[in-house]
Amino acid sequence: MTSALILDPTLLAAVLASLLPFVSFLLIMVFTREFPRLSAGLSIAAVTLSLICALFLLGRHWHLQSAIQYTGRWLVSGDISIPFGFLLDSTSLLMLALVAGISFLVQIYSLGYMAGDTGFARYYAFMSLFAWAMISLTISPTMLQLYIFWELVGLSSYLLIGFWYEKFSATEAGKKAFVMTRLGDVAFFLGLLLVLVYLGNLNVLEINNREVTVRMSPVVITTSALLIFGGIIGKSAQFPLLTWLPDAMEGPTPVSALLHSATMVAAGVYLFARLFPFFSLSPTAMTVFIIIGTISMLLASTMAMVSRDIKQVWAYSTISQLGFMIMGLAAGGFFAGVFHLTTHAGFKALLFLCSGVFIHQFETNDMYEIGQYGGRRLKIPMICIVIAGAALAGLPPFSGFFSKEMILAALADLKNPLWLIAGLLGAFLTAYYAFRLIFIVLFPKELETDQPPNHGAGHGHETYWIMAWTLIILAAITVILGFFQGSLESFLGGHRSVSANHGGGQHIWLPFMALGLALVGVALAWMEFGRQGAKQVGFVERIPPLNHLFANRWHIDRFYRGFLDIVIYGLISRMCTQNDNKVIDGSIHGLSKGTVETGRIVSFLHSGMVQYRLLVIFIVLVLLTVYFIF
Amino acid sequence: MIVPFGHVLILAGILFLMGMFCAVTRRNLIMIVLGIEIMLNAASIVFVGAALRWHHLEGQVFVVFILAVAATEVSVGLALIVYAYLRTGSFDPGTYNLLK
Repeated sequence: MTSALILDPTLLAAVLASLLPFVSFLLIMVFTREFPRLSAGLSIAAVTLSLICALFLLGRHWHLQSAIQYTGRWLVSGDISIPFGFLLDSTSLLMLALVAGISFLVQIYSLGYMAGDTGFARYYAFMSLFAWAMISLTISPTMLQLYIFWELVGLSSYLLIGFWYEKFSATEAGKKAFVMTRLGDVAFFLGLLLVLVYLGNLNVLEINNREVTVRMSPVVITTSALLIFGGIIGKSAQFPLLTWLPDAMEGPTPVSALLHSATMVAAGVYLFARLFPFFSLSPTAMTVFIIIGTISMLLASTMAMVSRDIKQVWAYSTISQLGFMIMGLAAGGFFAGVFHLTTHAGFKALLFLCSGVFIHQFETNDMYEIGQYGGRRLKIPMICIVIAGAALAGLPPFSGFFSKEMILAALADLKNPLWLIAGLLGAFLTAYYAFRLIFIVLFPKELETDQPPNHGAGHGHETYWIMAWTLIILAAITVILGFFQGSLESFLGGHRSVSANHGGGQHIWLPFMALGLALVGVALAWMEFGRQGAKQVGFVERIPPLNHLFANRWHIDRFYRGFLDIVIYGLISRMCTQNDNKVIDGSIHGLSKGTVETGRIVSFLHSGMVQYRLLVIFIVLVLLTVYFIF
Repeated sequence: MIVPFGHVLILAGILFLMGMFCAVTRRNLIMIVLGIEIMLNAASIVFVGAALRWHHLEGQVFVVFILAVAATEVSVGLALIVYAYLRTGSFDPGTYNLLK
């Protein structure tokens, strides 16, 4: 078997890509915790090798026709067999390269950002853990293996969000993220069980096969699709489980760039793409998906319009863009959704990393303050954030323009125009809030009111240039990725999408409409924030009730807090505590008390009273008679 | 038989229990002897009833024996009580706790 491993380069590459970060994690956690530079070196070496393997696989199988699968016996019970292994088809190879690439860039960036932090080695250990879990998730052949790595990704997210664990808000945010995604995962697991019961196994290829309709009735397919989507809601922060993602910004910025914009939350959308043929079998489920995607997209866009915190704007933007991707996938545009996933990973990571440079330099998350302290003087982050913001808003020639067009085209193909209108509205809002942030940083009202607390020592030239090179690479990718649309589309295979038309022929007006809306959004942002003498107060911020509603995240958090307090803590916890105190502790207590009392009664025999002994004689006689007669 | 044998047994049983209660609970040596006497009488009621039930006169003969024995035992018991009182100065069985 080992010879098969070494002789087959594809298998070898897959194994190395997934296992090397795990080895790095183990080594760092066990041996090199005290040596930060060695830990960072190990982790970066591992992820570099993973990236090389991923690119090798991508290049070698560029003309892949059907999936390659390697499996080994794992769980076998009667008819049911759940193997472990690797599944390499176009979707997973693309995602593999994406994950490895962004992990590599973020880990290099973290050399600069996290320099001097006491938990440096621990940070790289968790980064390796995440890389292992995410890479293995993308090439899982069965849903169970995917679920295991899904949970591991959630674990590393928890560890990384609460990285600065001395800060109470960070630990609270980590806990909230984990519990909320866990809630979605319960639904996910129920859906998996349903599939397992009806289909007999959990292989992804079999689930996606059209023959699944033989074993599973439409109702079962719809139910399991909806349940699995519950997991996607949790992981990709869609409505209603979306409030953990803004709080997750408590973690270090590279973590936000890697996990909560490009890869982990994208795992939900990847799952959607993975099971796209299965989900397409149920039109009801697809309708529900598009509804949830639309709601998330619009809701999060409104929240982003009033936020002052630079990372929170991008967090809401991530929720919104993920909703947009789900809308595209649910509308039948498989390639549109996957392409937007790819481009979004690029420019969203870039946005976060640029914000990270600003936060690192000026020690504040507030965009107004960053502008005032002279954010625009950092040339490379400023240029890159403009590029990325333009990509997010969907301006040509950046990658975001091409992928947004595809999704809007997929939405236009639907019968109901509501989704297209929602998509266009979302495009307008996206452009508005993205450029609101950019203009606030670029054109602050008063420049340099205060010298920022500059920590000159240790954070100087090299850390800046490490971070800056990462930004330049990502910006370059953002610029050119759009032009790879054609080759990527043929790579992913046109036969995958259910409604295989591009809609390019029918909807000539669509690109211009979308572009026009985006430019209107940019112009509105310019009017309110960018031009000379602008008040820098948005049109929503002028309406206090709306401002209040959006800033409080539509009171979803209040609902959750109320639900927790009343139902969970008030009812269920209280019942369980009472049971614990009265029944369990009470019975043991009663048992001991009974024993003590019996002893006390029996001890009367020792008091020397003649009559008690007489009583005992009589009792024994009675018992003996009873025994002998009955 | 006018009264069923079961009723006689129940009566004798209750009387026996009352005698046992008296012997165990009272704080006077003479009352203990009294309780024993009551228990003996309860036993003799059973004998009389049994004699009537099975039409054997030996039951009633035995009752006479019991009476004789009871009398003897009372005399001995009283002698013991007098001696105990002279030794310890109390009629209360609670004070006889040297075997504690």
